[in-house]
Amino acid sequence: MALFAVLQTTFLLALLPLRTYQSEVLSEPLPLTPESLNVSINSTKQCLHLQWTVHNPDYHQEFKMVFQIQISRFKASNVIWLENYSTTVKRNQVLHWSWESELPLECAIHFVRMRTMVDDARIPAPRLWSNWSSWEKADAQNSLGDHPLYVFPKDKLVEEGSNVTVCYISRNHQDNISCYLEDVLIYGRQLDQNVWAFEFKNVSFIRKTGTNFYCKGQGDPEGVVLLVSKVLEEPRDFSCETQDLKTLTCTWDPGNDTGLIQLPSYTLFESFSGKKTLCKHRNRCDWQVTQDSQEMYNFTLVAENYFRKRSVSILFNLIHGVHPMAPYSLFPKSVSATNATVTWKVYSIGSSSALLCQLQLLGEGKVIQQHNISVRVNGEYLLSELKPDTEYMARVRCAYADHFWKWSELISQNFTTAEAAPSEAPDVWRDVTFVSGHPTVTLFWKPLSKVHANGKILFYNVVVENLDEPSSLKVLSVPAPANSTKVTLNQSSYQIYVTAHNSVGPSPASAVAISGHPGNENVEEGRMNGTEDGFPMSWKPQSRNATGYVVEWCDSPQHLPCVLRWKNLGPTNTDTVISSEPSRCAFRPGVRYNFRIYEISTKRMAHLLEKKAGYLKELAPSYNPKVNMSNLTSHSFTLSWKDYPTESQTGFIQGYYVYLKSKTGEKCHRGFEKTFLTDNSVCCKYTIDNPDQKTFVVKDLQPESAYEFLVTPYTSAGEGPLDDFRKVTTPDEYSHILIHIILPMVFFVFVIMIICYLKSQWLKDKCYPDIPDPYKSSVLSLIKFKENPHITIMNVNDCVPDAIEVVNKPEGSKMQFVGTRKSPTETKGTKPAYLDLLPTEKNYSGPGPCICFENFTYNQAASDLGYCGHFPVTPQAPHCQLGPLTSPENLLKTLEQNYMNSLGEIPAGEANLNYVSQLASPMSGDRESPPTNPPEPALCSEYKMQMAIPLGLASPARSENSSLSSTALLDPREHCH
Amino acid sequence: MRAQRMQRTLLSLVLRLLLLCTVATGKCSGKYHELLLQLQRQADLMQDPSTLLDPYIRLQGLHSPVLQEHCRERPGDFPSEDALWRLSRQDFLQTLNTTLGLILRMLSALQQDLPEPTNAEMNVRGFGNNIHCMAQLLSGSSDPKAAEPTQPGPGPTPLPPTPPSSTFQRKLRNCGFLRGYHRFMRTAGQVLRGWGERQGRSRRHSPCRALKRGARRTRPFPEVRRLAPRGQPPR
Repeated sequence: MALFAVLQTTFLLALLPLRTYQSEVLSEPLPLTPESLNVSINSTKQCLHLQWTVHNPDYHQEFKMVFQIQISRFKASNVIWLENYSTTVKRNQVLHWSWESELPLECAIHFVRMRTMVDDARIPAPRLWSNWSSWEKADAQNSLGDHPLYVFPKDKLVEEGSNVTVCYISRNHQDNISCYLEDVLIYGRQLDQNVWAFEFKNVSFIRKTGTNFYCKGQGDPEGVVLLVSKVLEEPRDFSCETQDLKTLTCTWDPGNDTGLIQLPSYTLFESFSGKKTLCKHRNRCDWQVTQDSQEMYNFTLVAENYFRKRSVSILFNLIHGVHPMAPYSLFPKSVSATNATVTWKVYSIGSSSALLCQLQLLGEGKVIQQHNISVRVNGEYLLSELKPDTEYMARVRCAYADHFWKWSELISQNFTTAEAAPSEAPDVWRDVTFVSGHPTVTLFWKPLSKVHANGKILFYNVVVENLDEPSSLKVLSVPAPANSTKVTLNQSSYQIYVTAHNSVGPSPASAVAISGHPGNENVEEGRMNGTEDGFPMSWKPQSRNATGYVVEWCDSPQHLPCVLRWKNLGPTNTDTVISSEPSRCAFRPGVRYNFRIYEISTKRMAHLLEKKAGYLKELAPSYNPKVNMSNLTSHSFTLSWKDYPTESQTGFIQGYYVYLKSKTGEKCHRGFEKTFLTDNSVCCKYTIDNPDQKTFVVKDLQPESAYEFLVTPYTSAGEGPLDDFRKVTTPDEYSHILIHIILPMVFFVFVIMIICYLKSQWLKDKCYPDIPDPYKSSVLSLIKFKENPHITIMNVNDCVPDAIEVVNKPEGSKMQFVGTRKSPTETKGTKPAYLDLLPTEKNYSGPGPCICFENFTYNQAASDLGYCGHFPVTPQAPHCQLGPLTSPENLLKTLEQNYMNSLGEIPAGEANLNYVSQLASPMSGDRESPPTNPPEPALCSEYKMQMAIPLGLASPARSENSSLSSTALLDPREHCH
Repeated sequence: MRAQRMQRTLLSLVLRLLLLCTVATGKCSGKYHELLLQLQRQADLMQDPSTLLDPYIRLQGLHSPVLQEHCRERPGDFPSEDALWRLSRQDFLQTLNTTLGLILRMLSALQQDLPEPTNAEMNVRGFGNNIHCMAQLLSGSSDPKAAEPTQPGPGPTPLPPTPPSSTFQRKLRNCGFLRGYHRFMRTAGQVLRGWGERQGRSRRHSPCRALKRGARRTRPFPEVRRLAPRGQPPR
């Protein structure tokens, strides 16, 4: 007992100094073991959450401790994480710590343990770790169902650019699992027997609805959706303003959308008042101004999403950020031609604040007036110096007058001033033509510019005043928009006034004087060159009292009618540049413009001063003259191009080039120079430098040589096209001599032939007529002359036919004859039968004296067939028999009847009548003696046969069997002589 | 493609106007054929996958063949084709009405997963309104309550599908649902067309065909036995 008491005392004594020291510093380390370690899994965040306590009954003060935490995966020995967590620990404090796993926690069992160490300066070293706690197991697979396949993490929210690990757990080891990331088959890393992991680095945003990752075995596919968010950007251009000092509006640019359905949140925090508000919009937030007259605001805008928090701050003075609302009810009132009053209203700011409003007047889009007006509620301003009939725009904006920061939005209103009378006389010019000595004046005027018209021009008044008869006035009203009118005058002098009228009144008058007689038009035309600016020209004044000058020309002079243009110039001008007016046709290169310069006298009379022609820019001729070639000899030819118009050319024709190409390649002749064409062919060129020369003789050529020539004009810009060479070949040297001899000879022969041809009928009639005219017969003349001066031509009525030959001819024989044209010699065998009209004497064979009687039935066709005297006559039958006719009347009647039938009534093939008479040969002399010889065909030349022969009877092919002829022979005694 | 979409939009607009007209007047069309034709056209419009399913697949990235294979209608989501053909007209309309309610709830849930303005919901409402009118017409009463279905339709009673736990499964589930929706509307259109065809055959007095049709179907609209007068529904 005593011993116990001693020990107790000793222990207390020993403890006493320790206790004493403890009040100052801890004398030795305290290995405190963590207690109640609890590990839980947060699947959403894929975190292991640790919770534990440190029980130390001896310490009541706070002190710093270090907790070393160890995490293992799949098995305790597989440590994957070691971390020291330092914190200040109170007594019996419950401590928390979280760890985010890259690998989804569902795919692996995790083990956690920890130990502690006091890390406080009050406790001296050495500091020792406590013992490890026991391993705590975190197994998420326990909560899984019995599906054969699981894919984790579910609905993982990741930020673009981060790394993600996805895993699957397959309960069926035999199953062949294929995994896809957005349709692409991918291969993972096996972590455990039934766990595979897929690591995706730097993931990118694909769509708002997430990136699909899925695996498929035998059953349905299992997958996860990775919700990839774009990086939240810091708000830009953060600013605040107020329109009415009651509500602040802060705006910013949120930047790019994060791409998720869940939008980031925006919160506005004001540090002075400590208030904050959650913004309803992603780019704007409203803040109610309190009534405690807070003027300064320190705003912080915080943008926040799952991954990031961005903030931006501004210090804002309420008064300095007033942006008034746009004014309203802007109206023009009392608008006249030159003045207008505009009114508008503004939204008031506070009770006593004024607004500074800016009124702008715009004309044709430009600000022409600007006025600043202080306005409380209603604004009004009188705009002056306006132009009549002009459209203006008035616009107003306002700013806070106490401290200008920003103009409000603009409001605008258009208005048009009223019309006024035209302020300027129209620019008038005239064109005078004289028809039958009377001047016809065409008046032209330019429409007044908008500035001077002061309204819409309705019509033009033209007043024609005859200066010789002051009382006669002629007034014409020409409705707009006409710009010309024509007036016919007599040979008096006139003054013409033109005024333009709008709805308000007339313009000042423009006067033109017209003389009744044509002026001097014989002014020589000068030339000038155009420039880029137009046509510069100058002139010499004729009189000192000129009141001005007018230059006139035509637009598009190549087209008719002329569109007259003119330019008025003051009396001091003696030069000008005529340039294209923007609204008119522009001067064009290659077009000849003719200008006429007039001097205007004090009486407004125009006198022609000068004529000028020019090109804005000369061009090379567009075509060549049409060249005629003449006088071709063996050594020369002449070229001429008389009708080539030079006025319509594209430049002033300065001359012509004559190109000559010879195929023999001979040297160029005198005056020609060798040149090369564009096709590299060599050519000789002659230059005619006189544009009026339009004839050229090409000389010194070689006979019988081929040449090509071309005539082309040239201007200052170049020559015409070289593409139309014409060919010519010089003749033989002596050919012209032959031509001089042979041609006249040929001509002479030809003339003779023509004369012979023309006179052939005459010669024939003279020399060898087909049918002799008894009156013209030489025989008759001989008879008259030698025997009986009283002899006359026998009248057929007085004659008795001595024989009638009736010919029966088959129809076909006629055609045969005509077609074959057999000669009369072929008809020898033909034996016509003769019908005796008179009693015949046997054995009488001699030809009786034949008497010629008048041929009253002449068949030209027969004569043309050449049956002159070749008619067959039977030797037994005398051609002529003398004796009285038994019945002359009957015979004649019969003859006439047969004759008529032969003309057409007797059909072909029937018996025809051949009426033959024979004239006694004047050479026989003995009419009584019978013919010793039968008549020969040759004797017919001595006879004149007259006959009526239908064509059918003339057929020599008539056969004897088919022919039936009868001949009535005349009795020679009964024939008239 | 754009022209087709424009046509569909126009057609949809027309149908919606028709619906609005009916709703606005508060009266149903008394013309049976007109109403039937309108129902057919609406069913044709709604059965077109390009109105809902195709945009959904495109928006959710479900166009891979593997996923397409599993984007299929689940049994029980919608009444089967056979079941629809077997129904009487009243029961058919009742089933249609009930299914349309389910569809509306699903479409409402799908709203944020679909491309921006889809007229699907309005189309379904318009279709439902016309079904109501048709049921009223068939019952021969102007009292809307008379058109209320008196018997539950045969086949599975459609219940809203339980939302899957993960987004991925929900995508597939919605995809299958939309496919089933289009299939269901196609079948409904066919059934409605069958009404018209039968009416036409009845008009042509072709009892042989009616008999054959009756032999093929278990219950080929037994309540329609006689020809209805023009403009009046068959009683």
